[in-house]
Amino acid sequence: MSIDAATSALHLSFPPTTATGFVVPQSRSFTVSVNPVVLFSVLDHYLRRQEKQHRVIGTLLGVRSEDGSEVEVRNCFPVSHDETDNQVAVDMEYHRNMFELHKKVNAKEVIVGWYATGSNLNQWNALIQDFYSREVMPPFQAIHLTMDTDLKNDDKLLGVKTYVSAPIGISAKPENCLFLPVPCDVKYFDAERSGLDLLASAKNDTDRSTSLFSDMDNLEKTIKAVFEMLERVTDYVNKVLDGSIPADNTIGRFLMDTISVVPKIDKVEFEKMFNGHLQDLLMVSYLANMTRTQLAIAERLQLLV
Amino acid sequence: MTSSGTPSTTKETLSNVNVTAALDVEGNVPLKSVQIDGLVVLKIIKHCREFFPNPVTGQLLGLDVNGVLEVTNCFPFPGSKADDENELVDGARYQVDMMRCLREVNVDNNTVGWYQSTYLGSFVTHKLIETQYNYQQTFNNKSVVIVHDVSRSTHGNLSLRAFRFSQAFMEAQKESKFTTESLIKNKLTFSNIFEELPITVKNSHLMTALLHSLDDYEHIIPKTTLDKETVVSPLSPNFDTLELSLDPYIEKNLEFLLEAVEEHTQEQNTYTFWQRNVGREQAKMQSALQKRKQENSSRQASGLEPLPEDDILKMYKLPAEPSRLDSLLITAQINNYCKQLNQYSGPTLGKFFMAGELQK
Repeated sequence: MSIDAATSALHLSFPPTTATGFVVPQSRSFTVSVNPVVLFSVLDHYLRRQEKQHRVIGTLLGVRSEDGSEVEVRNCFPVSHDETDNQVAVDMEYHRNMFELHKKVNAKEVIVGWYATGSNLNQWNALIQDFYSREVMPPFQAIHLTMDTDLKNDDKLLGVKTYVSAPIGISAKPENCLFLPVPCDVKYFDAERSGLDLLASAKNDTDRSTSLFSDMDNLEKTIKAVFEMLERVTDYVNKVLDGSIPADNTIGRFLMDTISVVPKIDKVEFEKMFNGHLQDLLMVSYLANMTRTQLAIAERLQLLV
Repeated sequence: MTSSGTPSTTKETLSNVNVTAALDVEGNVPLKSVQIDGLVVLKIIKHCREFFPNPVTGQLLGLDVNGVLEVTNCFPFPGSKADDENELVDGARYQVDMMRCLREVNVDNNTVGWYQSTYLGSFVTHKLIETQYNYQQTFNNKSVVIVHDVSRSTHGNLSLRAFRFSQAFMEAQKESKFTTESLIKNKLTFSNIFEELPITVKNSHLMTALLHSLDDYEHIIPKTTLDKETVVSPLSPNFDTLELSLDPYIEKNLEFLLEAVEEHTQEQNTYTFWQRNVGREQAKMQSALQKRKQENSSRQASGLEPLPEDDILKMYKLPAEPSRLDSLLITAQINNYCKQLNQYSGPTLGKFFMAGELQK
């Protein structure tokens, strides 16, 4: 579909405050949380863009809480689009097909909005936003997520921002809209944590790659991290005792809480528990080893027959 | 492929490395390792987690370059409710449609394998064998299955393993004959059904940038409404590994192990039963043969034509040997469980003593 740009497009990119004179449709507090996989997919799409294409867009899928105040963006897929100075075309057919395919895998995820790379909003954003507003089930609003792949902001970071839109003007026109920023959060599940950790372990590597850890290596890493933290805390406490750093009540309270979490168990009781579990574990591992040896013998014998 | 120019004119100018890459188009270089994109890791985890504990599968897309299988994207398969004919057709159409759609946005359009989720490493099943065999048959041995263990990954360490069939197993499966004889001929045992390939994870530059940005969490996503204290960076240290509760994990693992051992005993019983049957039939045959010989010698003594001995051999038919595939798979599975228990008990011992020190 091609959406022709109207000449009288009123384009407001970033309203700092809610302007008076019109009603914001959703006045309730509204939060968006994004799954890391979405951010990674957007970047991958951006990497694979066509030559001479400045930015990419795509559809966001996710779930809403019942009252619609919380939106969780869980998935996304790219949509091809074509953008010139005076025209923008979004491949609606493609968008519909992809959505149908996604629905087969996970029917719970619905269209919640769209993403684009780049930091600035222009008049095309308003038009695409209008299209997606019709795609999401009314009365909900389409969410627009931007990712700053140009790294042109002050912090030189991949800024992630989310917006909802509000109509503006005396008569509603699709190309007139007001983007209102909404707070957004990165949210993941426990199972995804380990994957994210693994990816993060490669971030300081020059060749940007890493291999998987064994359980033992992982434990060692974690214990080292704990040691480091303990040392930092000891250092801090010593400094406070010296008087070189003024004591901070909040930190003190946190430390108190942490120390009180260590359970007080009777020594004899603990000894008993400790030994019991230890024996269990050794037994299990011994039996497992024995089974494996048996299997190995069987394997050798089998070939001899 | 990295070098896709016409081979006749450009080959001379290519360096040594590129020549092998160009030759690789014909698929001569065997796979040595698997390199996964960070995005794929996250996508697999997401898909597997959402449907946990039901097993799910999906397709892996990418390229193989010089013996390294690069997996750059993937997509999930819809969960199958029943494996009737309709479902299969639907699944195939879904795959074709998805591939076409992904190609339009420049995603690598080359199937390199598939992934599967598993619960506590119980993945050595008939279904996996069949699917992987099909993949490896169709894609010229350049296809892997990546197994993701959700339950282990929640313990703080990601569990992803890449497998493919060994040549020996492929041959045996091709003949679909798993008798003692063919197993010995192919030197096939439970430990060489699969070849495990090492996995490395690679991030693109932009993803590295994103990970660094996530470290600076407060900058990337400006906080307006939430107070600063509740902000936790997604990459803050993770101490899930220090979790001490080991009982559920070991319990479940042992339970599975017991089940597998029981199945194994059953298989053994079937096998001994068959052996006994064979023995009995053979004894019968021998005695009949003996009888015939006696009869023949007495007939010869009285000057009569000896009776043929062939029909006796035809009369007694030896029962066919039961397929050893099941027992092979079960042993592989048992081996897996035992390995897991061992792998798990090591770090847990460490954790125990740490907790012990803490109490002092």
